[in-house]
Amino acid sequence: MTATEIRPAGKASLPAGRGRTRRGGMTRYVLARVARLLSIIAGVTFISFFLLKLTPGDPVATALGPEATPEQVERLRASLGLDRPAWEQYLDWLGGVLHGDFGTTLTQPSRPVGGELAARLPVTLQLIALTIVLSLAISIPLAVWSAHRAGRTFDRAVSSVLYGLVALPGFVAALLLVLVFVFHADAARTAGLAVAGAALAMTVVAALRSRRARSSPLPPLIGGGAVAAVGLAVYALLPDFPRQGFVPLGEGVGANLTSVALPVIALTFVDIAVFTRLLRGDMITELAKPHVLASRAKGMSTAHVLLRESLRPSMFSLITVVGLTIGQLIGGTIIVEHIFRLPGVGSLLVASVRNGDHPVVQAAIFVIATVYVTVNSLIDIAYAYLDPRVRQVNS
Amino acid sequence: MTVQPTKAPGPRLPGFVRGWLPLLLGGALVGTALSTPMVLPVVRLALAVLGLAFAYAGAARLLRARFGPDFDPGLWLGVAWLVLIVLAAATADLLPLPESLDPSKALTEPTYAAPSAAHLLGTDQYGLDILGQIVHGARVSLIVGLGGVLIGGTIGTLLGLTASYLRGRVDGVVGWGTDVLLSFPPLVLLMALAAVLEPRTRNICLALGILVIPSFVRLSRAAGLKVAGQPFVLMARALGATRRRILFREILPNILPSVLSYALLVVAILIVAEASLSFLGLSIQRPQPTWGNMIAEAEAKFQTHPFLLAPAVPLFLTVYSINRIGDFLRAGKDGG
Repeated sequence: MTATEIRPAGKASLPAGRGRTRRGGMTRYVLARVARLLSIIAGVTFISFFLLKLTPGDPVATALGPEATPEQVERLRASLGLDRPAWEQYLDWLGGVLHGDFGTTLTQPSRPVGGELAARLPVTLQLIALTIVLSLAISIPLAVWSAHRAGRTFDRAVSSVLYGLVALPGFVAALLLVLVFVFHADAARTAGLAVAGAALAMTVVAALRSRRARSSPLPPLIGGGAVAAVGLAVYALLPDFPRQGFVPLGEGVGANLTSVALPVIALTFVDIAVFTRLLRGDMITELAKPHVLASRAKGMSTAHVLLRESLRPSMFSLITVVGLTIGQLIGGTIIVEHIFRLPGVGSLLVASVRNGDHPVVQAAIFVIATVYVTVNSLIDIAYAYLDPRVRQVNS
Repeated sequence: MTVQPTKAPGPRLPGFVRGWLPLLLGGALVGTALSTPMVLPVVRLALAVLGLAFAYAGAARLLRARFGPDFDPGLWLGVAWLVLIVLAAATADLLPLPESLDPSKALTEPTYAAPSAAHLLGTDQYGLDILGQIVHGARVSLIVGLGGVLIGGTIGTLLGLTASYLRGRVDGVVGWGTDVLLSFPPLVLLMALAAVLEPRTRNICLALGILVIPSFVRLSRAAGLKVAGQPFVLMARALGATRRRILFREILPNILPSVLSYALLVVAILIVAEASLSFLGLSIQRPQPTWGNMIAEAEAKFQTHPFLLAPAVPLFLTVYSINRIGDFLRAGKDGG
């Protein structure tokens, strides 16, 4: 009874009788999910703990450096409890975690691991939040219009661009953004101006054509205007992005946003593709349904049909995937944090794996996996609450 | 009717002009971009991209006119690219490329040389040829992608198949293990495995294989459940077929098509995963070139030497091609 398979694939009509009769079932379902969640987190920590034990090389000797005497190594080893059996160490560690104690770092000078993580979590969380908001802001309009124009030029163009975005690995995207917007910012501004000019010219041509064809000139005007506005904004407003580094929110919102802008854009590429494809597919299914046809027959406006009649019921699976993406991003920001030298959990993890700082690696994996599993379980529970069929299948 | 921005409204041009014109224009643009070294690199890059776009549009139109409107040039471009890269990777040692593996043999070559006739994509910090390294890196990427899928796909499919047929406790244990593995963010699990295993091609294959086991378990379990309820399976049981016969002769052949078309997409995912791991310096080490570790080395210098990022292009094209072909195969299977 895993998380995904009980999820209904489509949004067939909900069975009648959803309500208070199955309260007990719901409670039992939530309890079962929580128990499973805990067992999975225990499994993750167990595996990562023993994987790290298998790592070649002595982390203590590495941490103390080549000049440490064997006695010093032995003393640190004993004080960390590393001379005892592995399963005892694991239980100790687990007990510490239950009290909120993650131990201390091996890298000298040693600091509490919990504090290290707590200092870095906000950076990663900010990246995630901005990535989700930006991806949704871009992909929802794209998906709605693609679904409306399914099979036409706009739809085909969007879908080929999305193929490109999916095939662009995160680190390549990040480096390309640096190349364009940091190293060649002036060229990017000029290109923005050129794009704006071309978009305006194309808009005028397309609007004239649509008038000749007696169709509404509004869509080309809106689309071309939007592209031109983006191009002009790039020309006029493009700030100087830093190559690397992070400015905390306390030192100014503008500086903070410019320091995370490129990493966030690099992260959005894949998410935009995933969200747009999903929502486009669901919208196309929804647009073919009788209630949309009825609404069109009544002469409702395109905007009403798209936004009120079909977008709202199509959001169901998008919301789920957004939830899953939040969970995945907590471990997915590693690459951009590394490239842009952002002090988040991911860059801490990379540095600790390289230094062999096992307590930090262990704690970071614990935090990342816990957030991921918890988010997934919350989605499942929300699903069960919204769709009673899930509960019945499961209990 | 499509909106042609470059064409004013008026009588339509004959078909062959509408195809050949952009094709030739695109070729001319790419040629200009390649042959004018004094212009800014960014401008040349923009010209080349624009030229390629034009050439693609023109060629697509010509091919559609020749082979019918359903012809998908992107798909065939993907097939052509994959054939090319596989051939290049297989014959890497035979190709007449400048020294690209041993720095001690490239001591007389210029370092950080821009692309030229002698070094088509330039040289790196040791004077090693970048094109040659890309070809050798392709070998690593393809072996790792295919090997990882082979390991993970075999184990995962067998586990999922068994779980789907036996149900009960086996299913519970397999499901729990799958959930645990899936709770590791992919790159984190890879990093943990890479820290334990010595970074060699075989071990990277193994790590990537472990990474994809759970998704194959889920896929084959779900597909197996569907097949196991079919009458012919019941029939086989009633006839007294052994468990092994039912699993491998009745159920497995029926879930294999969906597993295989999914496996192709996983190859692309694994190529990206290996490149990311390489980029972080946790996979195969220098001097053996991989696309990821070449890009990692380029990171320090690409402000002044953007051509060092060249391995990103084959990486992108390979992933793109595999995705296109994989989606095409899956769509065909769902439709028919």
